[in-house]
Amino acid sequence: MASATAAGDAAPPDVRLGPSPLLEVSDLRVTFHSRAGNVYAVQGISFSIEPGQTLAIIGESGSGKTVSAQAMMAILPRTAHVTGSIRFNGEEMVGRSERELRDYRGRCVAMVFQNPERSLNPTMRVGSQIAEAITTHLPLDRKQAHERAIELLRMVRIPAPERRFYEYPHQLSGGMRQRVVIAIALACGPAVLIADEATTALDVTTQAQIMDLLLDLQEETGTALLMISHDLGLAASYAEDVIVMYAGKVVERAPTKELFAGVRMPYTQALLDAIPRIDTQPHVLLPVIGGRPPDLSVIPAGCPFAPRCPEVQQDCRDQAPPLKQHEPERWWACWHPYRKGAGQ
Amino acid sequence: MTSGEVLLEVHDLVQEFVLRDFGGTKGGVLQAVAGVSLELHVGETLGIVGETGSGKSTLARSVIQAPPPKRGQVIFQGQDLVKLSGRALKSARRNLQMVFQDPFTSLDPRWTVTRLVEEPLVAYAEGDRQERRTRVSELLDLVGLDPERHGGRHPHELSGGQCQRVAVARALALNPKLILCDEPVSSLDVLVQAQVLNLFEKLREELGLSYLFIAHDLALVRQVSDRVAVMYLGKLCEVGPVQSLFAEPLHPYTFALLNSIPSPDPTVGRRDTASVISGELPSPLDPPSGCRFRTRCPRAEGRCAAEVPELRELTNGRFVACHFPLPAREAVAADGKAPDPVVAVAPAPLWPAEPNGAG
Amino acid sequence: MSVPAADLLTTAPAQDVLGGVGAGPRVRSRLRNLEIIVPGALLVVLLFFCFIWPLLYHIPSPTVADLFEVNRPLWSPGHILGTDAVGYDVMSRILYGGRVSFEVAAAVQAIGLVVGGLFGMIAAYRGGWTEAVLMRILDVFIAFPSLVLVLAIADSLGPSETHVIWALSAFSIPAFARVARAATLRLRDQPFIVAARLSGTRTWRILLQHLAPNLAPQLLTFSLLGASLTIILEGALDFLGYGVPPPTATWGNMIATGQSFISVYPQYVLVPSVFLVATSICLNMMGDGLRARWGVR
Repeated sequence: MASATAAGDAAPPDVRLGPSPLLEVSDLRVTFHSRAGNVYAVQGISFSIEPGQTLAIIGESGSGKTVSAQAMMAILPRTAHVTGSIRFNGEEMVGRSERELRDYRGRCVAMVFQNPERSLNPTMRVGSQIAEAITTHLPLDRKQAHERAIELLRMVRIPAPERRFYEYPHQLSGGMRQRVVIAIALACGPAVLIADEATTALDVTTQAQIMDLLLDLQEETGTALLMISHDLGLAASYAEDVIVMYAGKVVERAPTKELFAGVRMPYTQALLDAIPRIDTQPHVLLPVIGGRPPDLSVIPAGCPFAPRCPEVQQDCRDQAPPLKQHEPERWWACWHPYRKGAGQ
Repeated sequence: MTSGEVLLEVHDLVQEFVLRDFGGTKGGVLQAVAGVSLELHVGETLGIVGETGSGKSTLARSVIQAPPPKRGQVIFQGQDLVKLSGRALKSARRNLQMVFQDPFTSLDPRWTVTRLVEEPLVAYAEGDRQERRTRVSELLDLVGLDPERHGGRHPHELSGGQCQRVAVARALALNPKLILCDEPVSSLDVLVQAQVLNLFEKLREELGLSYLFIAHDLALVRQVSDRVAVMYLGKLCEVGPVQSLFAEPLHPYTFALLNSIPSPDPTVGRRDTASVISGELPSPLDPPSGCRFRTRCPRAEGRCAAEVPELRELTNGRFVACHFPLPAREAVAADGKAPDPVVAVAPAPLWPAEPNGAG
Repeated sequence: MSVPAADLLTTAPAQDVLGGVGAGPRVRSRLRNLEIIVPGALLVVLLFFCFIWPLLYHIPSPTVADLFEVNRPLWSPGHILGTDAVGYDVMSRILYGGRVSFEVAAAVQAIGLVVGGLFGMIAAYRGGWTEAVLMRILDVFIAFPSLVLVLAIADSLGPSETHVIWALSAFSIPAFARVARAATLRLRDQPFIVAARLSGTRTWRILLQHLAPNLAPQLLTFSLLGASLTIILEGALDFLGYGVPPPTATWGNMIATGQSFISVYPQYVLVPSVFLVATSICLNMMGDGLRARWGVR
């Protein structure tokens, strides 16, 4: 792993310096081919994630955030055409065979899905489902797998794990089910845990419990956590770095604190403004931009956000701004960024 | 903004569902709403917050008599809807409309937008065909859709936000006085959600509507409501004007809910893990005795198990159902501007660290 | 061009992740189209020859025997499929027999669709006592072995095409009622039905304008599958002598009379059997294909 090529020089600008990162995505593109035409779901995104880091990818539905996560898990459908590179510890994962990928999923990268109802088998005991995840990847016998499963249930703070092992998903509440899903994801000690809207379907108090659990587990095990969410508030509360996606592209990337101290990209600002906040006055209209996300079957010449952008100028329509590092640790793709609080 | 005139009065509303086992035998009675009383004034928006299983949607359904509640009164414009049926109910319900959570499933997938918006007008035999079509165009304009462009489309040809606008246009067709909104924006993206929320606000001002606004998102409820009612396991915990309730929650559950909201402002920081409410919602088939929140409440004492706390007025307009309501001081953390919530809630033992795994 | 690309992306891949193994989706969808087009085309051709061809061109009467032309083999001049022991033109009898099969199938399915569909919809939508009573009555019909029930009814009514239709309807009505009831139960609590009720729409309007159009795909595919079964059952009734009485040409009658000559002239049984089975398979395939395409369970 240490012998991995120093691809950092040739790679796009937003690769961190130093030895090869844990998971490195560069110029990832995903296109869905269909008879109706192509859909350019992800149009060249690059980022990397280090052990122990919490990174959030924020975007609306259709921004390409979920497709990116699926590409990282190599679980895209066959209609998807993937180019670019996804490197895990310097090893290229794009284009690997299904057999090689089976080991990669689970042991290297694991995913927690949005809907715990759909990711659990309703006819299997939850313990057996965890044990199954263990034995497919690790050389353990039944008894050891059983013990490990109970250990995992305890790890995700499920009370009375010995008893819960024998229960079925429908006997558990939504929050408990999501804990089981997390236990399955953690079964083989993945280096990167992707949480795709993992708390969206849950209540606000349960969401807080699950997010706290995820962060505690991250501290205990040192996994990198990649949160995929539409909720900027959630990212602000839990992530160290935030990537904002729009129409298949990364439009802004920054450490959380700096991002919220001074947003550069107008789209991020629009997202932030649209969230009802606990400290706003009742009946005040939310400042919101009109329009809808663009059709992803055509790649526009200019900035994809230009038709909705309040700061739009002619050059935005003519040429798409590239994602560039403008300040230490801050990247954005905009010709006319906001400059408030410049210099911090 | 509110004229003080009462539009809707709910007294001791109880709604039960009989659960059946596979064989069809009685498996238990689920009391989804267990004696709720509230009032809504003309021009007012009453927000109802609660988690899944709190009975907030069932409450709305019972108010609109779909299905009618088991017990209690729903007095709308001076008439008790529970006692009405058939034609009388239909004419009384004319001024009471509902907007559902999922815009896609609440519109018939085989109907066009125009026909969907026209349906209530047809049902109440409003005007002739020409007049109805003119009214549909007005309504679509009002909710920000183009009658020419969108009128002939089917729901699946529209986005989620557009579908919700159609649902709103339908609800407005008969010029109702009160609209029940059951999580109307929770399935929409942030930007679309804000657009639809602004639409509700615009309609309230222009048409003088009242809303019963149900949501699980507290920040959202704060945005739209004049007063808020907090529900837990079929009962109201706390009712009060939105600003004072959010600034100084009296019920420990309200406090816990407020503390669970992630704030889009990282300077607030991650709150103390111990302040997150622990445990799970108890089974509504077998609710705890006395106060229903006591199994998760850090302040629970013997009295809470023995005696059901009644909803009582503590200060002006602030109602709470708790034997030991919070003093105002501990509520500071709920306010986004608090210096540092970790410090503010410092004596962590307020909350038990061990989940007690109820349910 | 307003397909919301956003929606496409969020839903489409998620579904395919689970079922994405096997042939590529393009190949699969093309196969699915063939599954509908090929049997559909064959049926159209057969319907044309049964109902329209005899009007345009003169073909020998199916019930007038030509005693000088008995037992002609296949491909004889003037008799493409030969003639039988009495001198009937087999081709002509196949076409006129096909008419009977299609008429009976269409009538039985139409009666089942309308009567059974309404029964099932009303039962499920009203619930309670209405449902209990209606469905128990239909259960009685379903509880009998179908062929025995059909034979009993056909026997008590006496042989005729109308009676065959009544007898077979006793079998299709409860089947349609069950399908309609199950589908209505799924739809009944959908928010759009509740919303329609709340906006004041009357029950019969909800049944006919909201429920019926949403049930249509499921009931139509079911009727194709049902038609395939009806054609077989009709043949069986004729064969056993409880159906359309001879000398009317039907496929069942042809098989029944042909069986005495099976060792010498097997084509008297084989030709109508091939038509019977092929029609039934075509209907079945089309029903299955449409079911897959419309995503009906």
